[in-house]
Amino acid sequence: MRQAVVHANPLALCVVGIAAVPGSLAVRDLDTGLIALGAYLVAVLLLTPSVRYALICLALAGFAGLTVAWSTWRLGGHDEALAATAALRIVVLAWPGAVVAGYIDPTRLGDHLGQNLRLPARPVVATTASMQQLGALLGDWQQIDRSRRARGVGRHGGPLARARVAGSMVFALLVTALRAGTGRAVAMDARGFDEAGRRSWAEPAPWSRLDVAAAVIGLLLAAVPLALHLLR
Amino acid sequence: MSEPGQARFRGFGWRPLGRREPVVADLDLTIEAGQRVLLAGPSGAGKSTLLLALVGALGHTVAGDVSGSAEADGRVGLLLQNPGDALVAERIGREIAFGPENLGLSRDEIARRVDAARAAVALPYPVDHPVAALSGGEQQRLALAGTLAMQPGLLLLDEPTAMLDAEHAAHVRESVVDVVDRTGATLVVVEHHLEPWLAHVDRVVVLGADGTVVADTTPAAFVEHHRDALGAQGVWMPGLAAPVPQRPASDLVLPDVMSEPLVTEHLGVTLVRRGLRGSTTTVALHDVDARFDPGDVTLVTGPSGAGKSTLVAALGGLQAPTEGVVHGWGGPPHRLKSPALAARLGWVPQNPEHGLLARTVAEEVVLTAAALDRPVDVEAVLAHLGLEHLASAHPFRLSGGEQRRLALAAALAHRPGVVLLDEPTVGQDRLTWAAIVGWMRAAADAGAVVVASSHDAVLADAADVRVSLAAGART
Repeated sequence: MRQAVVHANPLALCVVGIAAVPGSLAVRDLDTGLIALGAYLVAVLLLTPSVRYALICLALAGFAGLTVAWSTWRLGGHDEALAATAALRIVVLAWPGAVVAGYIDPTRLGDHLGQNLRLPARPVVATTASMQQLGALLGDWQQIDRSRRARGVGRHGGPLARARVAGSMVFALLVTALRAGTGRAVAMDARGFDEAGRRSWAEPAPWSRLDVAAAVIGLLLAAVPLALHLLR
Repeated sequence: MSEPGQARFRGFGWRPLGRREPVVADLDLTIEAGQRVLLAGPSGAGKSTLLLALVGALGHTVAGDVSGSAEADGRVGLLLQNPGDALVAERIGREIAFGPENLGLSRDEIARRVDAARAAVALPYPVDHPVAALSGGEQQRLALAGTLAMQPGLLLLDEPTAMLDAEHAAHVRESVVDVVDRTGATLVVVEHHLEPWLAHVDRVVVLGADGTVVADTTPAAFVEHHRDALGAQGVWMPGLAAPVPQRPASDLVLPDVMSEPLVTEHLGVTLVRRGLRGSTTTVALHDVDARFDPGDVTLVTGPSGAGKSTLVAALGGLQAPTEGVVHGWGGPPHRLKSPALAARLGWVPQNPEHGLLARTVAEEVVLTAAALDRPVDVEAVLAHLGLEHLASAHPFRLSGGEQRRLALAAALAHRPGVVLLDEPTVGQDRLTWAAIVGWMRAAADAGAVVVASSHDAVLADAADVRVSLAAGART
């Protein structure tokens, strides 16, 4: 059951993430926010394999929430409940999407966007190919790390020194990514991408019962704050 | 199947952004439909440039000035030099299917072509195997499969076997020749090691260092008339003796701190690529016992994916072992702090760009030594490697061969007692080869432990000891 999110198709996952946006707008008080967040938390525990990843996303969304809470508190007459509600709204808005995004397979997403939503093939494929490049960056990062370590300028020392090294590694990674991006663009065109008028898809993009269930659960979760808001 | 295509250059020239001189100028060349052409010449002669021009990449995707025209008829398939750049999908089946998808083929036809192309390059993995879990040589075969699956009328291959061991290289060559035989496609190959291709081509075009056509001839006449002249310019001509390693002066390589012999005991490395959607586990090394002595040049050999790079990285503490130990560092080397490790280790990465950190060539050479407070004779190092005129150039503006030599200097100028090199001679001409191997030889003679991973047969002959791996274990 906890593998559900891995097998669900990417469009169903997009429904879960996107539905959370209008859902979050209904978070107008602390109770609604807490209940909505609790509902998503249960879903994460039951339906996703990595609690750790979900918590990392929660921390990031929480940070965004805190910055909003701070400005709301400053500008909104130092009202703690109002600030906390604003923070929860941001978390409910961002967290579900962040979690499902990690489970989207770029190639399958391309299949679905192209075949089910009939979006133009070329932009779709260009996007999925760059998402694929993100994976390759991991290997490049490892090589840059090894190389710096072997040359005596690797990550060591205090947090400040480590941060400085990490900063220049990020820069090196960007340069590598830019250069690789040019190579990839040439390679894609050399395989007929620039002239692909009517492109076909090697695999179908089906909707199984699991996919429908995932999308429905996403809609129901988003409906929780809406329902609470209307009932009040 | 697409018709054999013709390729034409008329007054063609190319000057990349940021260079003063053109790489290729005023070139006229026609390659007739169905011809099989080997494109030869010293490194930096613009061979890859011509292939890129035929797919229309120059001036659009790659910035610079084009003059004249470069045209190709029919469907063009290009295999790029760096296979890692060419990959667009997460799994090998979809990677091969990318070209056929662009052609708008039916699902059945795509599946047939994917299977045929996978067999042609002997990739032993299922279609849902992750691309990221492949080794460099395997990625090169995958990229070739993706090109073959399009059944192009004009097949352009830029060093298709550079990263492969002899057996896989022969297989890939046979597959290419077989495809060309069946489809009658026009073939243009750029390759450093020319000999194995000569029997399969009917025309050889030689480019000079200035990007002009120096000779346009048959394979037999090519070898007869150009062997010595091109050999001296660095081209791997058939029938020449191995290049003589160019040894630097011994004070450039004499280790500052001598190393103990490095000994691996039951060394095992299991690489796990974790992803949210599942992980891939690869046993890169298993139960490897080996000894690497100071004074020896030891070569780690084996087919692509055998674990060569992993063994070299584990020896230098750049890869943590999952079982077993590496002796000789006074503790587990992967736990050493970066400066302590660098004081004793020099590691030349497979992709030279990954090892370049500074803004100028000269700064690059002193970087590690400066971090360790060791003096370096920068001028002598650069002069030995033929880079003295580039001392103030940006490392990324150098050509491939120059970059490879700079990466060597950057990694080894601080005179480490352990010298590790990952595929140091891939795609190198005879001159760069002699510089790299000369450095390895001189460092070993001065007392360093020198270990390189490689499938280069010429380098194997120059080594003292060979450690052969297959599927992660010693053979």
